Amino acid sequence: MPTSSRLIRVDHEPRTTNRFVRWLLSEYLVLWLSALYFLVLAPFTAGFASPENLTNILATLLPLFVVATGQTVVLITGGIDLSISSIMALASVGGAMVMNGDNGWLANHPLAVPAGVAVMLLLGALVGLLNGAAVTLFRMPPFIVTLTSMMFFSGLAIWLTKSKTIYHLPAAFNALGGRIAIAFGITAILGVVTHVMLGRSLFGRWLYAVGQNPKAARSSGVPVGGVVVAAYVASGLLAALASALYTGQAETGSPVLGQRLLLDIIGATVIGGTSLFGGRGKVLWTLFGVLFIKLIDNSLNLLNLSLFAITMVKGGVILLAALIDAVRTRVLTGRR
Amino acid sequence: MKNWFTLLCLAAVALAPGCRPSRQDQSGPPPSGQQLTVGVAFETLQTEFWVAALAAFKDELGQRNIKMLEAIADGDANRQIEQVKNFITRKVDGIVLVPKDAKACLPIIKAANAANIPIVLFNRPPEKSDARSVAVVADNFSLTRETVAYLVSAARKTGAKHKALIVIGDLGDVNAIGRRDGFDAAVQEAGDLIEVVARVPSEWNQEKAQAGVVNALQANPDISFLFTSSDFLFPSIVSALKTAGKYKKTGEPGHVILGGFDGDATAYQMLVEGYLDATGVQDVYFEVAASVQAILDARAGKPVADTIRDPGFVIHQGNLKEKARRMWGAQVKK
Repeated sequence: MPTSSRLIRVDHEPRTTNRFVRWLLSEYLVLWLSALYFLVLAPFTAGFASPENLTNILATLLPLFVVATGQTVVLITGGIDLSISSIMALASVGGAMVMNGDNGWLANHPLAVPAGVAVMLLLGALVGLLNGAAVTLFRMPPFIVTLTSMMFFSGLAIWLTKSKTIYHLPAAFNALGGRIAIAFGITAILGVVTHVMLGRSLFGRWLYAVGQNPKAARSSGVPVGGVVVAAYVASGLLAALASALYTGQAETGSPVLGQRLLLDIIGATVIGGTSLFGGRGKVLWTLFGVLFIKLIDNSLNLLNLSLFAITMVKGGVILLAALIDAVRTRVLTGRR
Repeated sequence: MKNWFTLLCLAAVALAPGCRPSRQDQSGPPPSGQQLTVGVAFETLQTEFWVAALAAFKDELGQRNIKMLEAIADGDANRQIEQVKNFITRKVDGIVLVPKDAKACLPIIKAANAANIPIVLFNRPPEKSDARSVAVVADNFSLTRETVAYLVSAARKTGAKHKALIVIGDLGDVNAIGRRDGFDAAVQEAGDLIEVVARVPSEWNQEKAQAGVVNALQANPDISFLFTSSDFLFPSIVSALKTAGKYKKTGEPGHVILGGFDGDATAYQMLVEGYLDATGVQDVYFEVAASVQAILDARAGKPVADTIRDPGFVIHQGNLKEKARRMWGAQVKK
C-alpha cells in the first residue's frame, strides 16, 4: 500500500508529435470548442453574450457542475452512478420536510437550515454507501445497482410526499442556490477540494489505479473495495449538495427534482473527457464539459428551437463525445 | 475532428438567419408600433391538450403580429426558471407560463415582476403569494357540475336508478379538486337517482386509472354511470369497460352513461361513434386569446383581473355539429 503512489502514474498529457493526435488528446479540447461555439453563435443569437444571460448560464452551471463532479469520481473508478437524480429528489424532499415553515419537523427553529442541509447530505451519503457496498460486496454491476436504486429512491421520494412539492423553505436556505455569489463560493471550494484530492492525494491516485486496472491496483496494495465505496459516497454527497442548490433556486422541495437531468450530468462529464471506461478524468475537464453543455442548452433555447430539436442536438453531441472518448481510449491504450 | 469543427460552424451559420435579434432585444421595451415579443414557457408537451394549446398560441400571436419565443421545460422546474430568465434577458414584452406546479413557479413570477414584465399563468393557477400574475383557468367546478348535470338528465330519462363511479385526478392539482367538487355538487342534487359507489384516485396516471376502474367494476358490476376528471384517461377506462363487457353505445342495452372533462381528440371520436354522452370542453382558444389580451392590457396599463375564468362548454351528441369547431380535440383530430 505505501508504494502504490509510486506505482501509479496519473498523467493525461499526450506525448506525440502528430498535431491531430495532440489536439484530440489535449485536455483543453472541450474548452476550445466551447470558446469557438460561443464566438460563432454570439453575433447571431439574441442576448447570448449579454451579461444577464452569462449570469443565467453561470447560475445553472453551478449545481450541474457539483453533481457532475461526483459522477466524475465514480467514472474514474470504472463505475457509473445512475442514482444521482433520485438522490437529488430524496435529499430535496428530506431537507424540505425538516425545514419547511408549514409543517417541518424544525419549522421556524434557528437550527432548521443547518439540520435540513445535514439531513440532505446524510441521505446522499447513505444512498452512496448502499450503492458502493452493493457494487463491492456483492460484485454487482454498477449499472444495475444504481439503476435499481434510482427506481427505489425516486419512488421513495414520491411516496414520502404523496407527489406534492414542499414550499415555504427558510430564506437562508433558498439563498444557497438563489444567490449566485453564495452558490459560486460553495461550488468553487468544492471544485478545488475535489481537484486537489484527485490530483495531489494518495486517495486520488488510488481512484485512478482502481479505474485503470483493479486487479493490478489490488496487487499493489490499494484497498479497492474501500475506494469504490468512498467514490459512491462522494457521488451521493455531491448529488445531495447539488440538490440543495437546485432546491434553493426553485424555493421548493420536489420529489421529481433532477428526474430529467441524468443525460446532462453524464453527458457533461463524458463530453469533458472523463472516460466511461475508467481510469481517466479530471474536475477541470468536467467543468469544461458542463460549460459546453450549458452553452448548447442556453443557445438553442435562445434560438427558439423546439424541445425535440434541442434534445436531438444534445443527444448528438453527447454521442459524438462518447465516440471521441472511444477513439482517445484506443489511442492511449495502443500507446501504453 | 476537423469535420466536427466544420459541422459546428455550419450548424451555427445555418441556424442563425432565422434567429437574428429583433430590435427590441438590444433596446428594451419597444416603442409603440414596433413588433412585440412574447415568451411562451410550457412545462410539458406530453398530452394533446398542451400541444393544441401551444399551436393555438402560435396562431393567436401570429394573427396579432406578435413574435413568439417558446420554451418547453420537459417537466423540470429548475429548467423552467432558466428558460424564463432567458426570456427576461431577451427583454420580452410578456410571458405566458404553464408552470410545473403551483409552488415552484413563484420564483419565476417574482423574477418577471422584478423585470416589470407582465406574466400570465395558463391553465394552472399559482399558490397564493405576494407575487403578481394573471391566471387564465378553466372554471373546473362549474363546467364539471354542468357536464354531470347533463349526464344526470340523461340518466333520469332511463327511468332507473344508477350507481356511479368517478375517476379523480391528482388531488395536489387544484384543477382535479375543482372537478371532483363539481361532480359531487351535481350528484348531490340528484340524490334520488345517483348513488356514488366508487371513487378511483388516478393521480393522472393511466395505469392507476385502469386498475382502479377494473377493481371498481368487479366490486360493483352494476355501475352504470361513470365520470372521468380528464378525457386523457379514456383509453384506460374504455379498456376496463370492454373487459367487463360494458362498453356500449348510447341507447344500446347495458350502456354506461359516460362523461369526461377536457374535450380531447379521443373524447371527440367517442362522441362521434356514440359511446360518450358528454364532456366538458376547456375552450383552449378562449384561454389563449384571453392570455394574450391580458398581456397587452397589462402593458397598456389597463386593469387586469388576477384570475380570468374560461366558462367552457358542455358538448354532447345533441350539439356536436354546432360546437365541434370550438372543441380543440376535434381540431386536433383533423
